[in-house]
Amino acid sequence: MSHRLLQIFSLWLFAGLSCSSQADNAQQLIRQAIDNYRGITSYSEATMTIHRPDWQRVIAMKAWTEGLDKSLVRITAPKKDKDSGSLLLDDNMWSYAPKINRVIKIPSSMSGQSWMGSDFSNNDIARADDIIDNYTHTLLETKNHNGHKLFIIQSVPHEDAPVVWGKEVLQIRDDHVLLEHAFYDQDGILIKKLTTSEIKTISGKTIATTQRMQKADKENEWTEFHSSVIKFNIIIPKNTFTLSNLRNPR
Amino acid sequence: MTTNWQFAWRNIWRNKRRTILTMCAIGFGASLIVFSVGLQLGQYDLMISGSTRIYQGLVQVQKKGYLDEARMRNSIADAQTLANNIRKTTAINDVAVRANGFALVSSRERTYGVAVIGVETRHEGNVSIIPGLVKEGRYLANDNASEVVIGRSLAKNLKITLGDELTILGSGRDGSIAATIFPVVGIFDSGSRELDRGLVQIPLNSFQQVFSMGNHAHAVVIYHQNAELVDTLKTQLQPLLKAADPDLLALGWDQIQPGIKESIELDYSSGWFMYIVLVAIITFSIMNTFLMSVLERTREFGIMLALGFKPINIGKLVMMEALILTLFALIAGTLIGLAVNYYFLINGLTFEGMEEIAAQYNMPATITPQISIESTLLGPAVILIFTLLAALYPAMKIRKLEPVEAMRHI
Repeated sequence: MSHRLLQIFSLWLFAGLSCSSQADNAQQLIRQAIDNYRGITSYSEATMTIHRPDWQRVIAMKAWTEGLDKSLVRITAPKKDKDSGSLLLDDNMWSYAPKINRVIKIPSSMSGQSWMGSDFSNNDIARADDIIDNYTHTLLETKNHNGHKLFIIQSVPHEDAPVVWGKEVLQIRDDHVLLEHAFYDQDGILIKKLTTSEIKTISGKTIATTQRMQKADKENEWTEFHSSVIKFNIIIPKNTFTLSNLRNPR
Repeated sequence: MTTNWQFAWRNIWRNKRRTILTMCAIGFGASLIVFSVGLQLGQYDLMISGSTRIYQGLVQVQKKGYLDEARMRNSIADAQTLANNIRKTTAINDVAVRANGFALVSSRERTYGVAVIGVETRHEGNVSIIPGLVKEGRYLANDNASEVVIGRSLAKNLKITLGDELTILGSGRDGSIAATIFPVVGIFDSGSRELDRGLVQIPLNSFQQVFSMGNHAHAVVIYHQNAELVDTLKTQLQPLLKAADPDLLALGWDQIQPGIKESIELDYSSGWFMYIVLVAIITFSIMNTFLMSVLERTREFGIMLALGFKPINIGKLVMMEALILTLFALIAGTLIGLAVNYYFLINGLTFEGMEEIAAQYNMPATITPQISIESTLLGPAVILIFTLLAALYPAMKIRKLEPVEAMRHI
């Protein structure tokens, strides 16, 4: 699941994928990438900037992830929303608001709604790892990008998949950095696009540290993610991904 | 000229039975059209008043672009002052401010996404019937109260009853997290599935606080029972809105709910198709009568021609006969149609099963026909034009008559 969240926090989406492997099979590419997440833990600190024509909002947060299906996001700033958080477990998402000291489960019917007012939807954040099962992946092209191989993969959801998009096009470098992720509607019109603008090498891994989600028809509306701290393979306490931990920030 | 009219008048009554039958056909058609147009327009009035009365109002003041995309930030500053100015300037008291948000509402067991509306508790009842449809408990007490009223279907879905706590979680105007817990003090049942399932109302000040709105709101709703005033009202509001904020728009019910207007237009055009068929039938039967009366009088016309009448004068005579006959029949038919409309206006017209449907919308169970110049005169005017066109054909035939031959005609 939180495949997308990992991506947003600039984790190495295609980590462990051997460059010399049979990269011509797109389905295989994605499956291997996802398999390589399993069991990996991470801690990151990031800021999310939501930009609108007449205002802008910056949210700072910390996030812990374990593998593909567990993650916890905790807001640290602005003060008004400090200690609010989201917990993702498998296909489920909960929100915690300290103001009312309640945890609310986000119903699956709300998956299209914006996440924390950003241009990411709950679905973008919490999408299940059925990215493998629910999509047909095709390798469109292999290009060169700054001395790296760049794979352009088109992912079309199956007819019965619970996905609002008509198709998605991903650009992934052979060092596992996601350069671009475009979302198209059922009519093939571009709706929004995630682009990477900063790539850094942290603890030996090359990762995207700044990514921006841009609405296609509105130039002045975007959400930018910038990760300042990322650590991999850390030890995470067992009770991190529980509702009681969501409710009791330390 | 008067002689000609006299002549025509006498000619009409030479065959009383045929004249009366023809008049009956025209008159019946006219009264039928007057009645059904009146009923149709009356039904539209009901549709419009139903849609404006339940919730949306006749006119809403909103920020430009809010109708297309209801963004929380696209709000009206100091909306209550604007509403007060509108009340003063237009002398309409049925004006209320609303702030609209989207949030997750949650009981202990379940969570749904709904529209959360902040309302002016004193005024909301003037622009919407929801406050009057609270079937359990009561409506919101005052603008600062920390309480919520919800629809019956939502209460059922959430499995909550009066007095239970409802958790509201959404985004505020500044993007911050808006969260609160309010007790349910009332459950309304509007009969509108959409509203009963997807709407909760909280007092305006509480809304502004929870959703970090300051003194902002999203709509000033104005209700008036006369839907025809919509354009007048919009023009009247213009200077007021311009002074407050050039980006404010006054939107009529037809802009807020284009679906209603479209379905009325669709029904109107299909109605017209029926009327055209009716008019065509009337026209052909009248054409037949006129043609008969002209053919029958071939001998007579032959003599008139021989006496020196010009064919065009005889044609005029026939047209005059047609005009007199049709006018009398139309006046009688229209009066009968009006009388029927008036009867139902007083007594109402109701169909089987209509009561149940109407009751759900808190509407009267009866349709009352509309009596207006349009509903009364439009149909008869069309019949008049078409019957005169129908009379034109036999009248033209006279021009081809040869006096000698015509006189020998049986």
